[in-house]
Amino acid sequence: MDGRRLLRIARWEVTKNAGGVDRRTVAVMMLAVVGMGLVATLAVGGAGAGLDSGIYRVGVDQSSPYYGPAADDSTFATVPPSQPGLYRGDQELLFVGTTLVDRSRTSKGYAAQSEFRDTVDGYNERRMADEDNATAAYPVSVDLQYVEQSGVEESLATGDGESTDGSGGSGSDGDDSGGGGGDGSADGSGSSGTGTSTTDQDAAGTLGGLGAGLTGGATSGTPADIQPPFPFESLVLAFLFVVPLNFVIQAYGSTMLSERLKRRGELLLVSPASRAEIIAGKTLPYFLGAVGVITAITLALRFSGIAPSGSHVAVLAVLPLAALFLAATFCGAMFARSFKELTFVTVTITVSLTSYAFVPAIFTQVTPIALISPLTIVVRDLQGQSISLLNFAFSTTPPTLTAAILFGLGAGLYREEDMFTQRAIPLKVLDSLSGRIFSKWSALKLSALLLPFVFVAELAAVAMLFALGEVSIPLVLLAVVIIEEVAKSLHLYAGFSSGRYSRSLRPALVVGALSGVGFFLAEKFVLIAQLADLQSVPTGEAAFIGSNVPEGIGPVLVAALLLAPLALHVVTASVSSLGARKGKRQYAVALLAAMAIHFAYNYAVVTTLV
Amino acid sequence: MSKRNGRSWDPRLVVARRDLSSLSREKTIVLALLIQLFVAAFSSFLVVGLTSLYDPGSVEAGQIEIGVSGDQQDALFEAVQRQSGATPVGYEEPAGARAAFQRGEVDAVLTATSAPAAEGGGSVMAVSATVPDGSIRTTVVVVQVRQVLKTLERQERVERQGNLEHDPLPLPPEANASPYFGFTYTVLMPLLLFLPPFISGSVAVDSVTEEIERGTLELLRVAPISLVDVVDGKALGMILLAPAQAALWILLLAVNGTAVSNPLWTLTLVTAIAAIVVIVGVVLGLHLGRRRPAQLLYSVVTLVVFGGAVLLPEHPATTAAKLAIDSPTLTTYGHVLGYVFVAGVLYALTRRYVDRIEPESL
Repeated sequence: MDGRRLLRIARWEVTKNAGGVDRRTVAVMMLAVVGMGLVATLAVGGAGAGLDSGIYRVGVDQSSPYYGPAADDSTFATVPPSQPGLYRGDQELLFVGTTLVDRSRTSKGYAAQSEFRDTVDGYNERRMADEDNATAAYPVSVDLQYVEQSGVEESLATGDGESTDGSGGSGSDGDDSGGGGGDGSADGSGSSGTGTSTTDQDAAGTLGGLGAGLTGGATSGTPADIQPPFPFESLVLAFLFVVPLNFVIQAYGSTMLSERLKRRGELLLVSPASRAEIIAGKTLPYFLGAVGVITAITLALRFSGIAPSGSHVAVLAVLPLAALFLAATFCGAMFARSFKELTFVTVTITVSLTSYAFVPAIFTQVTPIALISPLTIVVRDLQGQSISLLNFAFSTTPPTLTAAILFGLGAGLYREEDMFTQRAIPLKVLDSLSGRIFSKWSALKLSALLLPFVFVAELAAVAMLFALGEVSIPLVLLAVVIIEEVAKSLHLYAGFSSGRYSRSLRPALVVGALSGVGFFLAEKFVLIAQLADLQSVPTGEAAFIGSNVPEGIGPVLVAALLLAPLALHVVTASVSSLGARKGKRQYAVALLAAMAIHFAYNYAVVTTLV
Repeated sequence: MSKRNGRSWDPRLVVARRDLSSLSREKTIVLALLIQLFVAAFSSFLVVGLTSLYDPGSVEAGQIEIGVSGDQQDALFEAVQRQSGATPVGYEEPAGARAAFQRGEVDAVLTATSAPAAEGGGSVMAVSATVPDGSIRTTVVVVQVRQVLKTLERQERVERQGNLEHDPLPLPPEANASPYFGFTYTVLMPLLLFLPPFISGSVAVDSVTEEIERGTLELLRVAPISLVDVVDGKALGMILLAPAQAALWILLLAVNGTAVSNPLWTLTLVTAIAAIVVIVGVVLGLHLGRRRPAQLLYSVVTLVVFGGAVLLPEHPATTAAKLAIDSPTLTTYGHVLGYVFVAGVLYALTRRYVDRIEPESL
């Protein structure tokens, strides 16, 4: 790759597309951004009413003590109390004095009553703040301490709380999809059998310090001062980091797709610049733009005092996310047939990647599962908590690798014969895969390469599902099975349908087996890398990622646990391969069969080992 | 679109049909619906997930046990008993309660002692609370402890009422309400209703800029229709798409047990918003001619305008919520009619603008 050529393409991208005509656009944009800032200040200043203003009507007389709270809270509209009005559905609550005379017998009525209770409570608090006699107004002072329960292990073992158990179980599922994917549930379930308590313990240990960091270890004040540990503000701030990425990818998607219109991209393709140089050159300005915006946000937050502890760690953690957004958009622009289609693809990317980044981060204070998302690192950095290198690597490596793979797949289509042809998106996806197939060994290579994808998808599934409690374990197993089987066989199907693989029986079995082996090797490579970590760092941090091999099991059993998944992957990949060589419908049937085998295996392993 | 009777059709309808059919051919409309479904699922998930962290009732292990000790433990005991999700366990000594906490027998420890007030005379009740750290149940326990202590505070305030200028108001009785009710109408509903118009506007930008960038607008010019007809048709297709999707959502929600009141007003609102947004998109597309700047400006401008609507007496999202939840006021209806009026004015202005455009300059 020639650095000068790359930079020249990058410069063209900036000057040709952003200069000239767009100066006016930039001016309007700046105005709009200023306007947005004004609107935000006005909204914060209380100019506008809340979204829920006036959704409940409460019938209350001016003489009633409840008139004050109802009139103070914009959620409620006050109307003169009237029984017929309540029957007509013009009011939900009917008070005489402080007695609830009647309530509309709808779910709206119940919701209004529950909401009104909170409103009165808040009103009381505000009035108490004005009292002169502080001792009578605040007769209770609280000193709240967060203390680790060392006996929590027993309560887990006795099944003290189902929700605790469920989350513990899916938590270790998180480990195994991080460490070893589906067969990992063999190892993973080992950890939920023998190791749940230690995992949870250590996890609690590492998070213990963090929780204390947020709340200062203890809070004191009145009962109303107690706030449950929830990093709401930091989450909103973290969202601020994701929003600009969406604007960047919109511009990036447009520019990539417009290369494909009217064969514009041909000019660059026939130049001495290589494919990689063109793509890197055209991507670089947008990546740098994203980095610039993120850095500016971090600095602004830091110096405005909103998040004074935001540092380079936050910026570094968003970089893989920015790369992932750009890579997905690049693929989308290579697949889409028109601007309209690109818009929908972009929205899909925005929604799915934002939820991948955002959902796990909600649980920042609660469970190590939060580390799935790089945004968690950002939230923690904004709160001024220290982040270990291992945590950082765990959060950022899967998205980085996935971004690289996506760029690789998209680049496979960045050539004349693919760029200027119109095909449906699914066919383009198959094309991008088959562009990477050269011999039967490609099956092994592609299975291994798609692994980061599998990780990211499985981790996201775990993060989405774990909050559901005990239902989550079979659901996570199901998600894992679907994701892995598709990853192992989709490129086989692409190979067969593009004629790169021979459709006869033996070659089909060979590529199927190779695909399974490739998947197994890549998976185990990741696992071994994590085992190495386990020995080199204190268990506290490593327990989350690397507790896959159960303790107290002889080497023979370990070998069996390692080799059984190999057999599984080879068998299931071969099954799908046999279907894929016949055609679309047969592929679907065979894929279902493979998933069923895989699920049965995982389920058996989980139930016997737990 | 190659219908034999196409000639007798209004050319605007032909253009609208052509645009819509290209959407369905690319199956992008399926993608759009999937996205909206995903957004709905995602936001519902957020709420259910968050509530399960907060709301003890939604967690299976909702009952928590609170160890109570200290010289004021009787009042504390009573306060815990009043809490539906918590059971008090009395301990003679604070040390015993703490040991039980360490063993995991109780989920939290409260020790209440009488202490002299910081200023002035009298005494306050000093409670030291111990809650588990870094566990998934921390939040639930903290929420419960908070409620217990607030009950205690209320009891104490009533006892000291003589020293207060204002008596604390009694709280209305608790109601067994769905924790998601408010969210469904104030967040989910506006989200589902306004997402289709915004996507429509974005597609309108694409539809116009694509014809310009690909050079196919010239081909349309050869056809016996004016540029105004082309723009009209493109806008019409996109505007109609939004209420159709919104109607689908209303239907789906109704099947799911969430009734949407005033469906006609709601759909009128969606159509008016869609018209405004699509007109903005079309004008930006015609004016800038290229997708990248047009699309960028479109998203920024709609964001600012939608955010700026906070300055109105009623935000469009609130209008939608109030219509759907069946609490509309005259202001609500006035806003809907206002949007219809604005859409009409914008349409008239846009027609004049498009009329003056030299098609060759595009």
